Amino acid sequence: MATVSNSKGFQPGTGITTPRGRRALLRAATPYILIAPVIIYYALFWIRPVLKLVGDSFRTTDGSFTISNFQMVIEDPSFWPAILNTAVIVIFSVALEFVFALALAFLINAKFPGSSAFLFIAMIPMALPAVAIAAAWQTGFTAHGWVNSLLIYLGILAEGDKIYYLTGSHFQNLALIILIDAWTVIPSVMIILLAGMQNLPEDVKEAGYVFGGNWWTVTRKITIPMLKATITTAVILRLISAIQIWLIVVVMFGFNRLPVLVERIVYFSDEVSGLYSSYQMAAAYTIIVSALVSIAAIIFLQVSGAFTRAGEELG
Amino acid sequence: MSARKGVNLRKTIRMTTLYIVVAGIVLIILTPIFFIVSLSFMSTREAYQYPLPLLPDFTTEFELRISENGYLLSVYNDRTDQYESVQDTVDIDALSYYMQAFLNTLMSEEELQEHIDVLEAKVDAEGQEAVVYFEVTRDILQNYKVFFRITRDAVPALIRSLQVALFTVVISLSIGGMAGYAFARYAFRGRNALRFSVLFVRMFPAVAIAIPMLIILARMGFYDQEIPIGLALVYSVGSIGLTIWITGSIFLGIPVALEEAVQVFGGSRLQAFTRVTLPLAFPGLAASAMYAFLGAWNETVAAIILTEFNPTFAAVVYRTLLGTAGQVNLAAASGMAMAIPAVIFTFFIRKYINQMWGGVTV
Repeated sequence: MATVSNSKGFQPGTGITTPRGRRALLRAATPYILIAPVIIYYALFWIRPVLKLVGDSFRTTDGSFTISNFQMVIEDPSFWPAILNTAVIVIFSVALEFVFALALAFLINAKFPGSSAFLFIAMIPMALPAVAIAAAWQTGFTAHGWVNSLLIYLGILAEGDKIYYLTGSHFQNLALIILIDAWTVIPSVMIILLAGMQNLPEDVKEAGYVFGGNWWTVTRKITIPMLKATITTAVILRLISAIQIWLIVVVMFGFNRLPVLVERIVYFSDEVSGLYSSYQMAAAYTIIVSALVSIAAIIFLQVSGAFTRAGEELG
Repeated sequence: MSARKGVNLRKTIRMTTLYIVVAGIVLIILTPIFFIVSLSFMSTREAYQYPLPLLPDFTTEFELRISENGYLLSVYNDRTDQYESVQDTVDIDALSYYMQAFLNTLMSEEELQEHIDVLEAKVDAEGQEAVVYFEVTRDILQNYKVFFRITRDAVPALIRSLQVALFTVVISLSIGGMAGYAFARYAFRGRNALRFSVLFVRMFPAVAIAIPMLIILARMGFYDQEIPIGLALVYSVGSIGLTIWITGSIFLGIPVALEEAVQVFGGSRLQAFTRVTLPLAFPGLAASAMYAFLGAWNETVAAIILTEFNPTFAAVVYRTLLGTAGQVNLAAASGMAMAIPAVIFTFFIRKYINQMWGGVTV
């Protein structure tokens, strides 16, 4: 709608005189007019802030060039723990989620009676906002929360006994976060994998069975390799969001107890935003996180061969 | 014959194992949800019991008797099958307050006075050990009411969250929808680059945009405003990409031949779009809009960074969770208040979520 009113602007002064020539130009210009708003929007509200962020991360509070922001970040006692914790969470949660989501997708794709109801239930965690999920688990893992109560009702825990989940060792805390993240995210990974599975041509698998393969060999030699593009999509999306985990960590453990990268950013830009050079710290942290996300994504795409495949498809 | 029996037996075992596994997964998924829903309706007293009751009571049974300090109020506990003393005071005001604040039972002082009058009469007749029993229906929504009352900015934040989400939908659907149409109908230079940029935008975390936007918005006069346009501008960066992707596939699914037919019969390209393509695409576009809406509704990190006095609902709930570590039933109610609209919207678009990934059917 807006396109047409825009395109009228082509008439005067374009130097095109014949109606046919004008129409041809209009036709050629239409897609560019249609995508122009996106380009402008990205330039204003994506590229501009990103450039500003890069600039600010190399600037002191009075505006001169410096790399001391990054030095401060590296000297932040929580920096290396944050890198390590984030790495552990990313590696284990992506692996765990992928394996379970794949198993779940195979299960639902088997189309047993009741599988559509099962799919519906399996999708519920996708619908819940992060803060609501955080509320559910926060109320669960306190010492008198519902997890311990449930263990008592099941007879696993003696009446009145408590397990203190939130004061465990460092690795227990990480494991807790990974489990909660798995609960939250497996459904969305599963949906992507399931969609990929259902788009596979049946006859190829049938051919595998005809030539004497059993379920396991057909899955391993035919289904999984053909799912590669889907698996790449699912893992890349997960990788990007797993690096950015923070809310559940903060709600469960508060700031500083189990530092992760984005928790550091929120800490400097919200919790202690009044402090001198908090903004610089947050900017430098954000650059580091963005770089890590991009590097991880590009490495993964490279290793999985997605670039060459996409080139073939699109080219 | 026996071979077939073996096959049947094996099939039965397999199906049984399958359903045990399925039931286990369903339990794992539903347990946390069950408890947060249940907890959000519990009174503070129930929420502090250990082990936690599985379900909130809908009515509370009281026992009232005379004590040295005045009146002794007790509450019946299903689990122990006993009355447990909760308040021992002469102050009727305090009794009424306790019943409301800790038991979610509303009883005015006048009503309470009536029970006390009955008790006094009974004591005169039967002696000090006389007891009065009464039952009060629980105000089941009290946690929600309390959450909205004590969290001063919860209601404006709720309205603001709806506004942000609507602005985001308008921005991303108009801008992203146009680009999506271009993707579906035209071959143009830079098509692939733009397609990859959609993914590339998402590689930069929301915080990466939010932190510099803090200053950019402040300069534009959009930072932390009552009307949250600034936040919608930030959210749209992420949602436009997704909208291009979804609307692109929707328009691809509508045959070009239909548009051409309109033009053959003398209609313009614009008419072809508004009369034929748009109505056909409408359900898909609605789903795409709801998707953008959900993204904006659920977003927390940029909301926390980019608001101060005018937070969104997600930011309010986040601060409630960090602040009221003790008040578990209020935390649960705030989480539920956040979840309910999201769940309703997801329910409407679940078909399209599946379709977006290439049509999941079961």
